[in-house]
Amino acid sequence: MNCLEAGKEIPNYCYGEVSSELEELVESHLADCPACRTELARHRKFLELLDEREPMLDSSMLVQCRSQLNTAIRQQASVEASHSAGWRGWHRVLETLRDFSRVQIPFKVPVGAMALVALGFVGARYTPEKFGGVRAATMEPLFSSVRSVEPNAGGQVQIAVDETRRHIVSGSIQDPQIQELLVSGVTDGSNAGVRLKSIQFLHDQVLPAGVGSADVDQVRAALLGALRNDPSAAVRLKALDGLKQFASDATVRTALAGVLQKDEDSTVRMQAIEMLATHHDDSLVGVLQNVVQKEDSPLVRAQITQLLAQLKASVGTY
Amino acid sequence: MYHAAETVNVGLAAPLDESGLIRAAQNGDQDAFERLVREYDQSVLRIATNLLRSPDEARDVYQDAFLKVYRNLNSFRFDCSFHTWLYRIVTNICLDRLRRRKVRKEESTSVETPDGMVDRVTQVREEGAHANPERQMWNRELSGGIARGLAGLTPRERTVFELRHYEGLRLREIGDMIGTTEEAAKNCLFRATQKMRLSLETFV
Repeated sequence: MNCLEAGKEIPNYCYGEVSSELEELVESHLADCPACRTELARHRKFLELLDEREPMLDSSMLVQCRSQLNTAIRQQASVEASHSAGWRGWHRVLETLRDFSRVQIPFKVPVGAMALVALGFVGARYTPEKFGGVRAATMEPLFSSVRSVEPNAGGQVQIAVDETRRHIVSGSIQDPQIQELLVSGVTDGSNAGVRLKSIQFLHDQVLPAGVGSADVDQVRAALLGALRNDPSAAVRLKALDGLKQFASDATVRTALAGVLQKDEDSTVRMQAIEMLATHHDDSLVGVLQNVVQKEDSPLVRAQITQLLAQLKASVGTY
Repeated sequence: MYHAAETVNVGLAAPLDESGLIRAAQNGDQDAFERLVREYDQSVLRIATNLLRSPDEARDVYQDAFLKVYRNLNSFRFDCSFHTWLYRIVTNICLDRLRRRKVRKEESTSVETPDGMVDRVTQVREEGAHANPERQMWNRELSGGIARGLAGLTPRERTVFELRHYEGLRLREIGDMIGTTEEAAKNCLFRATQKMRLSLETFV
């Protein structure tokens, strides 16, 4: 080994990243070469200097990250739960079709395909050419993304591909399955637009047209959930709209009182007060007197004061 | 599920059966997933912080990485160690961010710290009220030299250098993480080291 070769190996030698044979060669050269020993000493000093770098990590960052991750995972779990709830209705449709198939169609015909045909979901699908698929006329795009690429034991490659297929479902607003999907849409954590439109349909078409009493409970519960938990003020406002016809209901009024105390959006709070004002309710006085003392918005304060006056109560608790 | 910790616990009280934890987490056990996160998250945050030199970006990387792990844990088939798989995710996210920075040419000498923006060139180790002014000046210049050297590395060189020098990972493992061979990682480290030496030439 000459000095040039040894110089090239010194960085790897210092990191212990040379084979034992190479290590022996480097050490043997160093033993006979004062210039390379000097270079080794300089390189070691350089490595020590690198460790003078200021660390940037502090423990509060880690605590903060864990807390944010916790929240994100909760949201993720909630999205997954709402998706699985949304598909429960369709699972029932498929189960029904499975029973139907036993009578009308030979046993081995795939149930999923029958469901697609029976429901009018055209089965053509689009797979990007990069995955070896064939372009075809489509009503149901298939969105694919590669999640991981790994070698496998057989020397081949194993590619994990996520696929999301979109089904277009259309039907009468009176269809219980459609109603169930709309209720699921209210709790779709991933898309505020979907939540908003689902509530709008429930409010504008489903509730006025009348549904069975059990379904009304389901719709009301979904709207109350949106009112209490939805991060979007627009969705909460729309949920309040949907709840107007339940304004006399005790559960709804409790939720409205909760909005007054906790909702951070003043428009939502004002809307809640309007709904509370539609029914005379003396039991609200204590809550209103308490809230008016803490309310930041002058408009909301004025509205509460007006409502207290309607209830013939004073602003203060005295 | 997670709960924000009052204090940061790095180790685990009970011995870690990692494979068991991974399988439990794959079956939806949130506590097992949390233990996996706690086992590795300090390293993940340290790597991201040091590679990106930005606490805000590092926090984003931490979240992105563990959410990816959460979503894709079922695709983990024990073909490699869990920490290689995890670090591969982290380094890929960091590499993407470093590459985007290069494209946007947004690399500046300023870095975010918990106390606000600090210029890398003037960044100095806290040495207390009685520190020697000359020593302070020397430290300031050294920190500037290290920062300038790191900023001059390509994203891949920076990643390999950070993982080898500051994290102490082996080149073979680093190669696995960034999708290259051990030999290529070794060449990358050599180039990075040469550049760093050059930027610290006056101190050596």
